[in-house]
Amino acid sequence: MTTTTRRRLGAGTALLASVALLAACGSGTPGQSADEDAEAGDREVVEFWHHTFTTPENEWYEQVVEDFNASQDEIFVNSTVVPGDAWDEKMTAAQAAGTAPDVYPVPGRLNDGVRLGSYLALDDLMPAEAFEQVTDSAAEISQVDGTWYGYPLLLEPQRVLYWNKDIFAEAGLDPETPPTSWDELYEACEQIQPVLSDGQFCIETFSDQDTLAWSTVAEQMHVAGHLPISEDWTTAEATDPAYEELIEHYTTLYDEGYIPRQSLAAGNSAAPFGEGEVAMITQGSWGMSELVADYPEVVESTGVAPTVTSDGNQTETLTTVGNFKWVIDANTENAEATAAFIEFALAGDTDVLLPFFVNTQFTKAPAREDVAEAVNADPGAAEAPWAQVITEDVVPYTIGEPLYPWDVNVAMGLAIQQSMMGDVAPADALAEANATIEQIIEREDLPTNREELGD
Amino acid sequence: MARGRTPTYQVANSNKKRYPDNVMAYVMIAPIVIMLGIFVIYPAIQATVLSFYDWSFYEESEFVGVKNFTDVLTDPKFRASILLGLQFVAMTLPIQLIGAFLFASLATAVNRRFADVLKVSIYIPTIISGVITSVIFTIIYDYSGGILNAVLGSLDLPGQAWLGDPKLALAAIAAPAVWLGMGLTCLIMIAGMLDIPASFYESADVEGANWWQKTIYITIPQLKNVLLYLIITGFVASIQQFELPLIMTSGGPMSSTELPNLFIFNHFRGDPYVGYSIAAALLLFVVLGSVSALIFRVLNSEKLVD
Repeated sequence: MTTTTRRRLGAGTALLASVALLAACGSGTPGQSADEDAEAGDREVVEFWHHTFTTPENEWYEQVVEDFNASQDEIFVNSTVVPGDAWDEKMTAAQAAGTAPDVYPVPGRLNDGVRLGSYLALDDLMPAEAFEQVTDSAAEISQVDGTWYGYPLLLEPQRVLYWNKDIFAEAGLDPETPPTSWDELYEACEQIQPVLSDGQFCIETFSDQDTLAWSTVAEQMHVAGHLPISEDWTTAEATDPAYEELIEHYTTLYDEGYIPRQSLAAGNSAAPFGEGEVAMITQGSWGMSELVADYPEVVESTGVAPTVTSDGNQTETLTTVGNFKWVIDANTENAEATAAFIEFALAGDTDVLLPFFVNTQFTKAPAREDVAEAVNADPGAAEAPWAQVITEDVVPYTIGEPLYPWDVNVAMGLAIQQSMMGDVAPADALAEANATIEQIIEREDLPTNREELGD
Repeated sequence: MARGRTPTYQVANSNKKRYPDNVMAYVMIAPIVIMLGIFVIYPAIQATVLSFYDWSFYEESEFVGVKNFTDVLTDPKFRASILLGLQFVAMTLPIQLIGAFLFASLATAVNRRFADVLKVSIYIPTIISGVITSVIFTIIYDYSGGILNAVLGSLDLPGQAWLGDPKLALAAIAAPAVWLGMGLTCLIMIAGMLDIPASFYESADVEGANWWQKTIYITIPQLKNVLLYLIITGFVASIQQFELPLIMTSGGPMSSTELPNLFIFNHFRGDPYVGYSIAAALLLFVVLGSVSALIFRVLNSEKLVD
């Protein structure tokens, strides 16, 4: 029996582990300490798991749970922070053991989860007016077939360009004019290279396989006008020569030494820019809140602009828009109490959500109209020039994240990386991606899944 | 124990003598048997059953027969991960065995006090957790700011993307794997060498044999069973390496460090039905069992004749 099998699989083991955990905690609720038990008293306990986010987000999560628990004496929310890189396996193990949390945030699309019966519909658990203020784009990612399965918190573009105005000026470039097309980017880097010291690079862009997988979806759409799988999910369409150009773009960045040959930080972090290791960085809009929180000294000289595109057209398919919404686990035993918590945190008073968007430096788009108004009216908005860039120059030109399985994204990410770092010709890498996608279509019976999704 | 036609009273007598030992033996192995039952045997049986299903956590699981197994066996990525595992074994095991052999030869040849210093120093990495080691080596390999590239820079050589270049990444992970595994291998070899009767070497000295001849004709044949044990355990440990690639590269770049266990783990994280992952794990079990049996077969363990 392999270690993996032994350690990772089987609900029996997971159940036993949770029993052991109980014994260790001396509490009646999994994952809860005896102290928390005392605090919960005889209230109904709602288990809430969330990821680790940027500093201001983590603070808001902590605060909202505290405020909810103080606001009434019927329900007690027990919040558990799960590190991002452990989320998937922890959640899968908990679901297998039947100890999944009652409520948790979900990025991406809900279709797969709904198909598997993982989430409860919210329509009967929350009043209709709770959904009235939700924006159209947020509704799109929270509903499946017109039914609400998640309550949205935010939308955020996954790619914007940050540039260091000081380095631009030093290199003799106009510090207020960032590059808009691939060619302009190469020219800028050509000029920037001489003023960089050892260990500094022109630009850090997403370069590891997994990050390339989600970050290049809009680029794929932009260069080819379609995604690497047909609309009805019956055939792979990854061999389009337009994708070869996209791969060549990354190869140029890599070969010319414009990007580091090894990622300088985690794929979703703006730290290399904050540390002064790069003159530009391509990162999600959340990067700005990271810079403000952790690298305040660079904010003054940081410019934010729509990401560069192949042809310089910045009014079409710039980036996918990421999001987070909260869902209720289908196996929950306290659906009503869980819905009450969601209503308090996300669907209630705008004052509850205001600090979230203000403290993350206006880098995220609220999912509710009334919250958006309150955020725009905040005096801090005037001191955050990037907020306008994100809401006016980027958000209108975004596309939703793809509905097809993650493995399709990975196949494309791998193709780009293979050509960029390996000796594989772009056409060959794409042929391999195409074969992989065909295999996924076959294995997961995608055409049927697509039909079930409706339009 | 040979059983001849023993008079009855003797049997009764010896049973009485053996009986308390039996009870004590069962009592002593009970804890491990119970633990194995709960944590290994039961999950293994359950995993085998589940591998024939699309196991859903929220709906009725669907029986799919051998589909999960055919999916795994026809997945070039699974095959690639097994081949990569074998490649990783080839990169780590020989170095570990030869290094440990030379080190053990040295440790058995020097005086006692110095040998103790050697043994302690080679064993220290063994007690460091794989996770800590991964972090340490990640810092060493860091592209802009790592010690290794700083050394190269001081020699006017270009810095390398140790963990970012698919040609280097597996070797970069093999180094800490050898470093971690060397200690125990060395101690077992030293114990094996100390067990070889000194009279063999004395006879060889009389015949005028040199170090090479003594190694080839005495040490290695006498260490055969120890080597067999080390090859099998080393092979299994090496092909199952998990923490190092998980923390240092997550299997990248381009899956060049996605060893079998990590492949299964990465698949499990995003697998809505888990059946594929379980089937892959069971097939890996079959691969490991077959290779171990093959090594046994080739080296053919036998009792040494003094």
